[in-house]
Amino acid sequence: ASGKRGRELRKALVSVWLQCPTITRIYTIGESFEGRELLVLEMSDNPGTHEPGEPEFKYIANMHGNEAVGRELLIYLAQYLCNQYQQGNETIIDLIHNTRIHLMPSMNPDGFEKAASQPGEIKDWFVGRSNAQGVDLNRNFPDLDRIIYINEREGGANNHLLQNMKKAVDENTKLAPETKSVIHWIMDIPFVLSANLHGGDVVANYPYDETRTGSTHEYSASPDDVMFKSLARAYSMYNPVMSDPQRPPCRKNDDDSSFKDGITNGGAWYSVPGGMQDFNYLSSNCFEITLELSCDKFPNEDTLKNYWDQNRNSLVNYIEQVHRGVKGFVRDLQGNPISNATVSVEGIDHDMTTAKDGDYWRLLAPGNYKVAASAPGYLTVIKKVAVPYSPATRVDFELESLMERKEEEREELMDWWKMMSETLNF
Amino acid sequence: MLCPCGDKTVYNRQLTEERPLQEQIAEADSVKAALQSAESKRSAASKDAGSEQDDFTMLKSLADGQKSKETTEVPVKKEDQYVPDESDSTKSRRLAEDYDSTKNGMEYDDPESFRQVDGTPLTAEDIVQKIANKIYEEDDRGVFDRIVSKLLKLGLITDNQADTLEYQVAEALQDLITKNAKNNEIEGAESNDQETRGEQDDQGSDTDAWEPPRRRYNEDEDEEEEDEDEVEDEVDRDAEEEGDTPDNTWDKGTEEGNEVSPEDGLQDLQYFPNFYRLLKSLDSEQDTQERETLITIMKTLIDFVKMMVKYGTITPEEGVSYLENLDAMIAMQTKNKLGKSLVLPDFAGPNGKNLDEDDNTKAEAAKMQKEYENLKDSTKEDQPSTETNQPGKSETYLEAIRKNIEWLKKHNKDEGKDDYDLSKLKDFMDQQVDSYIEKGIIAKDEGDTIKRIYSSL
Repeated sequence: ASGKRGRELRKALVSVWLQCPTITRIYTIGESFEGRELLVLEMSDNPGTHEPGEPEFKYIANMHGNEAVGRELLIYLAQYLCNQYQQGNETIIDLIHNTRIHLMPSMNPDGFEKAASQPGEIKDWFVGRSNAQGVDLNRNFPDLDRIIYINEREGGANNHLLQNMKKAVDENTKLAPETKSVIHWIMDIPFVLSANLHGGDVVANYPYDETRTGSTHEYSASPDDVMFKSLARAYSMYNPVMSDPQRPPCRKNDDDSSFKDGITNGGAWYSVPGGMQDFNYLSSNCFEITLELSCDKFPNEDTLKNYWDQNRNSLVNYIEQVHRGVKGFVRDLQGNPISNATVSVEGIDHDMTTAKDGDYWRLLAPGNYKVAASAPGYLTVIKKVAVPYSPATRVDFELESLMERKEEEREELMDWWKMMSETLNF
Repeated sequence: MLCPCGDKTVYNRQLTEERPLQEQIAEADSVKAALQSAESKRSAASKDAGSEQDDFTMLKSLADGQKSKETTEVPVKKEDQYVPDESDSTKSRRLAEDYDSTKNGMEYDDPESFRQVDGTPLTAEDIVQKIANKIYEEDDRGVFDRIVSKLLKLGLITDNQADTLEYQVAEALQDLITKNAKNNEIEGAESNDQETRGEQDDQGSDTDAWEPPRRRYNEDEDEEEEDEDEVEDEVDRDAEEEGDTPDNTWDKGTEEGNEVSPEDGLQDLQYFPNFYRLLKSLDSEQDTQERETLITIMKTLIDFVKMMVKYGTITPEEGVSYLENLDAMIAMQTKNKLGKSLVLPDFAGPNGKNLDEDDNTKAEAAKMQKEYENLKDSTKEDQPSTETNQPGKSETYLEAIRKNIEWLKKHNKDEGKDDYDLSKLKDFMDQQVDSYIEKGIIAKDEGDTIKRIYSSL
């Protein structure tokens, strides 16, 4: 059920897999509305497996089917990583050994086919943008921004806002199949960092996308505004077009006043409700930014090499950002992992949770922090950490359960009593 | 050529009906013993020398006039040979063991008797030469048919052997034609074949006198012939030598070979009807240089593909489909550039190839295929017209797989590990491919292509 270009995508991914079978794996997270597989190429030293402590990263492109550059770039990236790995590039080898990288070149293959099938050179600005049902996938995610803004005012959870996620997702009839598949994917894999690739402009956009007051333009900072700016810059600085302060806007009347150093806050640029970027941040531990990579949404094939040149270093450098902040394990006193423990940072109202092996990753800009790990039935432990730019600082927690503490206290009491009685008897 | 190696004397047979039965049986037994020891020696020394066996056995059967044999030759499908240390190149051959004394002896007309004029026994080569001469003189292929059908009818030879004989006669006939053509200074392009070919001739074939033995076309025979030639090739190889052998020219016969004149040295190119027509269109004197250049280029390409197939870099089908595509592309380019189509009325284009071409293409594919272990999936690969990416895809995948293998080799060497285990890798990849097909990640034909590439390694 895939057109010629779909086959070519598959051919490209399969070729990478055939060339580097020990470090790649192709899988599918589901099907598009028209039955096309949503393919992912995974790259790591142990494909198919989450290694405890190894951070998970993803790139998703082409959720708007007519924004094609990202799709091609991810194919180039896959080939590049495989080639470089085999050629002994230390940086890439380390990256692949220490990260699990997931590449989804096309989240909207149906839209892409439609866009690509347009005759002639000039592609319509909108044809193929939405999925086959006419749904704009980047407006289709549950709007968690709305909830977080309420919680900010009235108190409530500061993260993981979609309770009973699987049920809510499956029963939500408004969700497109592509959206559902991605949501399941986010829930299944403890992604740490992510970017979604778009076209139509050139900038790195970070949360929040939706404005607090509902106005069309308003800087809407998230609790991790500092880190997000750092992440967005980590991408834009290696893209000479994106970071060019003299770059004229893509279209004469474009308002790019919010762009600075090639980055922009989402709400400051324009308000986007129901987007995938914010959904990641507010439903899971994953930090996601939105990369706009080309003024032209569907440029000619012969320009792709240029786009690759412009973005190659950025794409690699951004993946490396996943190795920042603090990371480690939360375990009990017997060394057993505690999953779903909370890892919080004083001063940042956005908590992480540990994954199945008790592992966590908390992206942080350089600075001094107090990091706390807590879990129901356990006593919270707080640690002070000095965090450099990179690599990530290892901070493990051993949590004493309440029962254990009670038991300890009881023993202490017994000891004291024994001592007292001996003294008195003396 | 016949019997390039081995003890010639083993092949000399007294081919007469008159020797007593017992004696013939006894001799057959002793020859068989000699053969088996020779075979085991030869198996160690060379990859395949199947057609010699065929010659011998066939002649043996001819010689043992009264008896028929069930020569249960089972020419072994050669395994992928080009990792020679790993594959088992010994053929399993069972020489005839049964003699049926109730069969009648052969009856032959005098000119076709298997004895020289002076009564000395004929060698295998003599026989073949004799038949070839006869055909040439009478300009009648029917000579061969007559002889062979008699032999077949009497059960003195099997179809396998008949085909071997046919090929050898064809070759001898070709030599004859060539020699005579040279003598008569037939006009035509000079052979521009500059490579040395050892014992090979570089002559075209004369269609009128010979048609491809399609009826009895036998893959196994071809394999042996080709093997034999490769053995030679490996011995004689120099930098420029093509993997071409005289046998090639006859294995497929020549249908479009009408267009090949014997001097052209273009027999390889007969499978490229469009290319041929292009050449034909360059028939003026000023075009000679260009014509020759084109021919050289094309031959080099073909040789390259053959070499790749030979060394297992690509599968035979890939080689064939690559060459087919090449020809199709030539047609298109020619049409574009010269503003005329070279398509003749009987060339039906991609949808319905001229039957002859089809056969010959199949012959070429089958021939190449027999150089290797026959792949399990014997169904033809998708026609290029249904999946225009198919040849490109195979090439891409092949390229990717090769890179992986190269990296594995280097990687393991660098780390001081043992050589990677190809069969383990193959198993692993097969499993993965199946899993991917099941999940809808790759299509079945893609998966088959990948498996095929791996099994050809």
